[in-house]
Amino acid sequence: MIERVAFLWPEIALFVATCVVMVLGLSRSLALRRLCGPVCGIGLVIAGLLALRTPASPGILPQLMPYAKAMIAGVGVLLLLMLGGTVDREEEEQIAAGQRTFDAARTNRAEFYAFFMFSFTGLMLCASADGLIWLFLALELTSLPTYVMVTISSRSARAQEAGVKYFFLGALGAAIFLYGFTLIYGGTGMTRFTDISAVLAADGMNSITLAGVMLALIGICFKIAAVPMHFYTADVYQGAAAPVSAMLAFVPKTAGFLAIILLTTMVSAAAGETGGGDGGWLPEPVRVLLWVIAAMTMTVGNVLAILQRSVKRLLAYSSIAHSGYMLVGIVAGPGDGTFTHNGLAAVLFYLLCYGVMNVGVFGVVACLERRGKDGWEEVENLDDLRGLCKTRPLLGWSMVICALSLLGMPPLLGFWSKLPLFTSAISAGELALVIVLAVNAAIAAYYYLGLVRAPLLTDPDPDAAPMTDTPVVWRRLATVLSASGVIALAIAADPFMRASETAGRTRDLMKPDRGGADEHAEAAPVVPEDR
Amino acid sequence: MSAPTLASTDLTNYLAVGLVIVMATGFAVANLVLTRLIGPRRTGDVKSMTYESGMNPVGTARKRFNVRFYEIAMVFLLFDVEIIFLYPWAMTFPNLSVGSEQATVWLGRIFFFLFTTIVAYLYGFRKGVFTFN
Repeated sequence: MIERVAFLWPEIALFVATCVVMVLGLSRSLALRRLCGPVCGIGLVIAGLLALRTPASPGILPQLMPYAKAMIAGVGVLLLLMLGGTVDREEEEQIAAGQRTFDAARTNRAEFYAFFMFSFTGLMLCASADGLIWLFLALELTSLPTYVMVTISSRSARAQEAGVKYFFLGALGAAIFLYGFTLIYGGTGMTRFTDISAVLAADGMNSITLAGVMLALIGICFKIAAVPMHFYTADVYQGAAAPVSAMLAFVPKTAGFLAIILLTTMVSAAAGETGGGDGGWLPEPVRVLLWVIAAMTMTVGNVLAILQRSVKRLLAYSSIAHSGYMLVGIVAGPGDGTFTHNGLAAVLFYLLCYGVMNVGVFGVVACLERRGKDGWEEVENLDDLRGLCKTRPLLGWSMVICALSLLGMPPLLGFWSKLPLFTSAISAGELALVIVLAVNAAIAAYYYLGLVRAPLLTDPDPDAAPMTDTPVVWRRLATVLSASGVIALAIAADPFMRASETAGRTRDLMKPDRGGADEHAEAAPVVPEDR
Repeated sequence: MSAPTLASTDLTNYLAVGLVIVMATGFAVANLVLTRLIGPRRTGDVKSMTYESGMNPVGTARKRFNVRFYEIAMVFLLFDVEIIFLYPWAMTFPNLSVGSEQATVWLGRIFFFLFTTIVAYLYGFRKGVFTFN
């Protein structure tokens, strides 16, 4: 037990920051309350630095933690910049104007920042997970705060509707994957990944375990917004304030993909036994399930995105489609471990790129606002972006760059993140899926080019109600950082690619001579450790 | 050496669970059917009244009540959980040998737990749960 702490220093740093923020946000003094954001930022930076020093773990993916946690901390800082002013701005304005005094019972700032940090703690714990129980608790710690954040992010009734919808569907998803986890335990008698894969390698996969794995994967589809569980996405993203939507597009998705990577690596031990097709890395039924989910997710997400006029709904459907792309990498598997052949590394790299690009597009929406019936309202119609490059060059060009990158335009980051998905899937022999992916990338071009055309090529609508820039400078900083990150990371992608290549290597690939089933059993501790 | 296997595909392990499910369902269904068949039926004002733990119901159920009840319930939960953890810990801890690694780990764990409790208490205090007016 105690030796696990060596891997958990980043989480501990985040947790301490959470505790500080929780109390700090309720201070009477404005100066102290304003420290909430910076304290979260310091916590994330320290966690990121500590993550880089994480030693190799004895788990099924020995090098996953340093890369995954550092990436989470990096994107977390961008998202934190976005979140500034989401719940506290109106309150501070009213207090400054003397309309009300500070009331600890009515403020949401402490909770909002603390929940943000709790969610990130859970996300990092997903990367550390070594067993089913840990993974379940980490996934729930990631998700539960986001339900509350959606609800308190905006005063509109839509936010409350979105929060309730998200909560109940989230509970459904959690129930499904928890049921799957219990069946995996029932089928193998183990809860730790290394033990389970040892059992699977020795005895093959029985039908109870198979049913458990299937249910677990489908339940986790809720987290990544993949097709059978994607119905909440558009409503929730639209209802929540744009900064929180940006967070929803990264945090649960990353948690879900880390969980899927761990689970698929775990069951890959049984690939040979149940007839792994033509040398596939997963047992055939699991591969078929993921294949179908990937193809459906890409297609449904992209086709529905074409029909949207609201930028936030469009981005919600595009986020569904991106989950589909990443599932291609999961189907492809770790291959021989080199970056271009390793689907898992491709997914890990894609998560970083998607996190960065995504902040930019949501950031533009978060930076624009308009006086509505009750307070400031977000601008979210596609027509509101018209002529943005002329009227607000910084935001307009950020939108153009990030949208082109999401589309996968060659010199930008999005291209370099999609490329390894293609190459790994081709090297794994998944040609049909590659064709689906290519067709979908073409469909996606239609609506992403719409996002590029509106700010770049059209003139502002003279009849439109006037918009103002948000006074929260941090959001603009996050947007610009994201857009410049899209270019900078594309130029300096090499270290990140190498890091994700190492992170995506399974334990088998780490060994000098690739072992078979016997070696698995030897490496796994049979006696459960003290918990 | 192969890892031990608890269960296999053979579903006889789950026979007891299945039996309990059948019994539970059967009991419920049997009660409903028997009541319908042989139970006498009488109605009246008192019988159709809302059950209010023996008192006569007053007013509507959709009344607003002070949110403080909720806050106090949350704080109660905090101390409740604290005692649930602390009591068994305090009973077991003296049995560990002094200065052993296990004892240190146990002490560290409970300090961590107390730290989270204190933070939660501070949060409740700043939030004004303990101010009554």
